[in-house]
Amino acid sequence: MSNDSNVKFRLDNSELWGGLIGLALGGFVIWHGIKLKLGTIHEPGSGFVLFYVGILMSLFAVSIIIASLTEGGPTFGSRWENTRWTKPLLIIACLTAFSFSLDTFGFPLSSIPLMVLLLRLIDPVRWSLTIPIAVLAPLGMWWVLKRLLLIQLPSGIFEIG
Amino acid sequence: MDTLINVAHGFGVALLPINLLYCFIGVFIGTLVGVLPGIGPISAMSLLLPVTLSGTPESGIIMMAGIYYGSMYGGSTTSILVNIPGEAASVVTCIDGHQMAKQGRAGPALGISAFGSFIAGTFALIALMLVAPSLASVAIAFGPAEYFSLMALGLVVLTFLTQGSMAKALLMACIGIVLGLIGLDSITAQPRLTFGRIELIDGIGLVPVVMGLFGVAEVLLNTEQVIKRDIINARITQLLPSKADWKASAGPIGRGTVLGFFLGILPGGGAVISSFASYALEKRLSKTPERFGHGAIEGVAGPESANNAAAGGAFIPLMTLGIPPNVVMALLLGAFVIHGLQPGPLLITQNPGLFWGIVASMYIGNVMLLVLNLPMIGMWVQLLKLPYNILFPLIILFTILGVYCSSNNVFDVYVMIAFGIIGYFMRKLGYEPAPLVLAFVLGPMLENNLRKSLILSQGDLTTFVTRPISAVCLALAVLLLVGPLLPSLRKKRELVALDEGA
Repeated sequence: MSNDSNVKFRLDNSELWGGLIGLALGGFVIWHGIKLKLGTIHEPGSGFVLFYVGILMSLFAVSIIIASLTEGGPTFGSRWENTRWTKPLLIIACLTAFSFSLDTFGFPLSSIPLMVLLLRLIDPVRWSLTIPIAVLAPLGMWWVLKRLLLIQLPSGIFEIG
Repeated sequence: MDTLINVAHGFGVALLPINLLYCFIGVFIGTLVGVLPGIGPISAMSLLLPVTLSGTPESGIIMMAGIYYGSMYGGSTTSILVNIPGEAASVVTCIDGHQMAKQGRAGPALGISAFGSFIAGTFALIALMLVAPSLASVAIAFGPAEYFSLMALGLVVLTFLTQGSMAKALLMACIGIVLGLIGLDSITAQPRLTFGRIELIDGIGLVPVVMGLFGVAEVLLNTEQVIKRDIINARITQLLPSKADWKASAGPIGRGTVLGFFLGILPGGGAVISSFASYALEKRLSKTPERFGHGAIEGVAGPESANNAAAGGAFIPLMTLGIPPNVVMALLLGAFVIHGLQPGPLLITQNPGLFWGIVASMYIGNVMLLVLNLPMIGMWVQLLKLPYNILFPLIILFTILGVYCSSNNVFDVYVMIAFGIIGYFMRKLGYEPAPLVLAFVLGPMLENNLRKSLILSQGDLTTFVTRPISAVCLALAVLLLVGPLLPSLRKKRELVALDEGA
């Protein structure tokens, strides 16, 4: 790690942001608990546990924030230092695109392009291997599930699958 | 005498051809996922959870249990031959196991690991047979206050043993409880945190959460690095350890077995912790500790025995109290629930065939693993040569299908992808997913028991401290929460804190 990888009062202190997200979540859970009604200690309501868990979350988050400010924390940059950070981003993009296309185009038409992208974009596999794996793996699984286990996978607007 | 009759009954169930087949499938898949880095027993069990629906409860649970202890066997193969742990419990085996392989002693390392695992697994099962019924008869007297305190202790122990900041682990556990409470309130039937989505009325499924946090997130983390595999290519011969090897390993196997079994029973404990504890113990007891790290067979025998004994011990809290002590047992609890069964003190009396059948099948599974694994080492080595850039798209495809099949719902695939992305960023920022998942499973039970005990005691909070078992559990939990504030205890925690991922 570089010398400026541990910072205190800076906006790129990743620990600080982790704590702030935790605090926001805690606040939201407390608010939701109150909205659901706390009930009484004799008869706790639906929001009783949520409310107190929200308080605990906020306390833990505050302790993380305090630690990040007093002891400092790694910057976002140092968390991804010496890594191929674009690779997971590419996979996330592929999975997001897949999740949007799954219902519309169905399983076979969305999973084959997903496999091609994953095989070619990250650590490129040669085409002579990519094509058979990308086609045979989803179709094979689709056949096993549909024919042998009688599980219907999404068929999309083209009703393929 | 009763135990013997029950064991015979259990073998009657486990030796049914269909159960033998499921047991074989379980241990085979377990070994496979143990061998392959990047996919562990948690991912495999959540992937196959829906498959358990197709058979009887006995068959499904026998298969799931087989995956768990099978992965403990398989994990050592990768650690020894490739220096990459196949799953988290085999991390410590890399240290001396791979050094032995480099010195041309891969065979004895693999052999002692398999024999040690078998001996430990056998001991754990015998202990399970003896301890579980007695503990179950005591547990019948447990009320909601005891259950609440035990679960709270389990969560605190896990957060205590999780790597990194304890505040982060506790925050994760709280988030897990909140996620577990999504859906209809079991007492008032009021929807909670559903945001008007009908898919959330029944809550979030365990499978998409686990597959996202452990399966997808693990793939994202692995692709960040170029995975270099230092595979031992030399032909592996002489799998049977020599007399000297046995002499050196007998003590570590015995100590690892006992230590692993008791650490496995503890809520929040498990195979990972016990393997590290055994390694530390053997190094401390050794007259030549400097050999550790340079191919000491004791460094393989002890931890491998410990993680298998812990895998057996972990069944005790689940089977007798209905409380999963770790994430893997939480998934097994999911398999019970899918079949409408509730593990707990009444399981042994109400479903003796199921309980004793599972126990007997675990013994058969251990024998299968020993007989199958040693001759199949060559095949596992070939499998390890499968490049990760081909393996990970397949893992993603299987996780998508596994999640979809668990509910026949595309929404769960979205949930899994979302948790995969969240899990990746969590891990990058030093937030471990294990406390979240255990709390996710325990959350609804924890809430239910808390509310029940408050209603029964008419709002008297002292009910948690006036009942002895509850008081002891809460006192231990408080001790573990306050402990890390003391510098000496904080140091000890950092030594034992572990990454429970994968």
